[in-house]
Order: sequence, then structure tokens, then C-alpha cells
Amino acid sequence: MIPLGYFVALSAVMFCIGIFGALTRRNVIGVLMSIELILNAANINLVAFNTYLGTPDGLGQIFALFVVAIAAAASVVGLVLVIAIYRNGKSVFTDDYNLMKW
Amino acid sequence: MNEFLFYPIALGACIFALLTVTSRDIFHSAVWLAMTLLSIAGVYFYLNAEFLGVIQILVYVGGIITLFVFAIKLTAKIGDHAVKQTNEQVVISAIASLVFLFILFKVIGLNPWLETGMPQTTISLQQLGQSLMGPYVLPFEFISVILLGVMVGAIIIGKVKK
Repeated sequence: MIPLGYFVALSAVMFCIGIFGALTRRNVIGVLMSIELILNAANINLVAFNTYLGTPDGLGQIFALFVVAIAAAASVVGLVLVIAIYRNGKSVFTDDYNLMKW
Repeated sequence: MNEFLFYPIALGACIFALLTVTSRDIFHSAVWLAMTLLSIAGVYFYLNAEFLGVIQILVYVGGIITLFVFAIKLTAKIGDHAVKQTNEQVVISAIASLVFLFILFKVIGLNPWLETGMPQTTISLQQLGQSLMGPYVLPFEFISVILLGVMVGAIIIGKVKK
């Protein structure tokens, strides 16, 4: 049997890859993709702990379902914001925008 | 499921995730992200969470990737793949992520319960639905409120102003 630590390690690796992508991508859509990776890493943790350490009512899977729903909503809003700023500034690169910098 | 199937799935997920964050063309990046999410669905199937795996494929690979592709194609320029896709803090971000990964591995290694094998208790879909409609019905209903808010917000933000 695969020990639980392997799943937690896989989740940690995915999380760090997502952090790296969110820090280095210039394209805003790339940053959103990295955020999806981070949320999926958290989901792997939730499901693995639910299967191994066993809550009888499946709370971990229900939490993961909520995370999937919230992630879908977040990416929709993020992509709409990307399209809105592209319409204004004709660019989707993060270093072209410093609207909130005073 | 065969237990040695876990290793190629996990390795594939890591490699596809790395390709997602490093590929030059953002459209290729979306395709690699789809592969990553499929691998994670495989991990869910391995963990006896079949419903969540199906939901992962339906919502992520079917819905969110399509949205990403639409957004990429709506904001693409001619010759966009020639543009540099990473900013100047690549090296320091890589160092920071690796240090964070190292700390995480150290902390994971401290825990003795990580060696526990898989128990044979699986949560059936019926049980999942009953607890979703029973004790956790309030957050379940809040999800619908959030989705309504997202729909209205997306229409308002994305509307072309006359």
C-alpha cells in the first residue's frame, strides 16, 4: 500500500510548482493557471486525508467539492477581469499594469 | 487498483505541472494544465473518490480549460509566442519555492502517522449525498449564492460600456 506521506508529498510538490508559476508568469492567464494548480494541490491533501484517516461522513471529499466549485467561480471572475483589462489597455502582461501603484 | 499505478500518475502530474508553469506558449500551457488535471483525477480514482474524479474531469477539464482557451484566444496577439513569458524574478522565485518545498518535506517527515496504509473504508456516493444534504447543507446552499453572484459580476464586468 502507498503510505499517506506520498500523497502529502505530491501535494507539496504541486503546491510549490504553483507558487513558482504564480511568481514568475508575466501573462495574467498563466498566473490564474498557477492558482488552479495550488487549489488542486490542496484538494489532493483533503481527499488523501479523508481516505486514510477516515471521517465517516466524507467531510474531506465534501470540502474538496466546495473547493472545486469556488475555484471554478474564481477562475471565471479572473478571466472576465483579464478580458476587461485587455479591452482597456491592450495587454495581458502583469508588468504593463501598475494602476494601483501610487 | 494496482498500487504501482500510483507512481506514473504522480510523476506525470508533477512533470505536467512543471511544463504548465515553464512553457513559452501560453496555449501549450493550457493543454499541459489539462493533462495535469487529468492526472489529478487519476489520483482521486486511486484514492477511491470516484465521484470527485468525475467532477474534476467534468468541471476542470471540460469547463475551466475551455474558458482558459477562450480567454487566451481572445487576448492573443500575432506573434505572441515570441514574447517572453516569465519576468525577471525567475531565479529568486525558484530558490524560494525550493526552500519552501524543502521545509514542507522536513515537516512532512516529522509525522509518524504518514506510514499508515490505506484502510478499506470507502465513502459511497449515497453517503456523500446524504451528508451533503444533511449536516453540510448550509455551505452547499451558499455555493449557489456565490455562483449567482459570480454570474452577475461576470456579466457586469465583461459588459462593453457604450
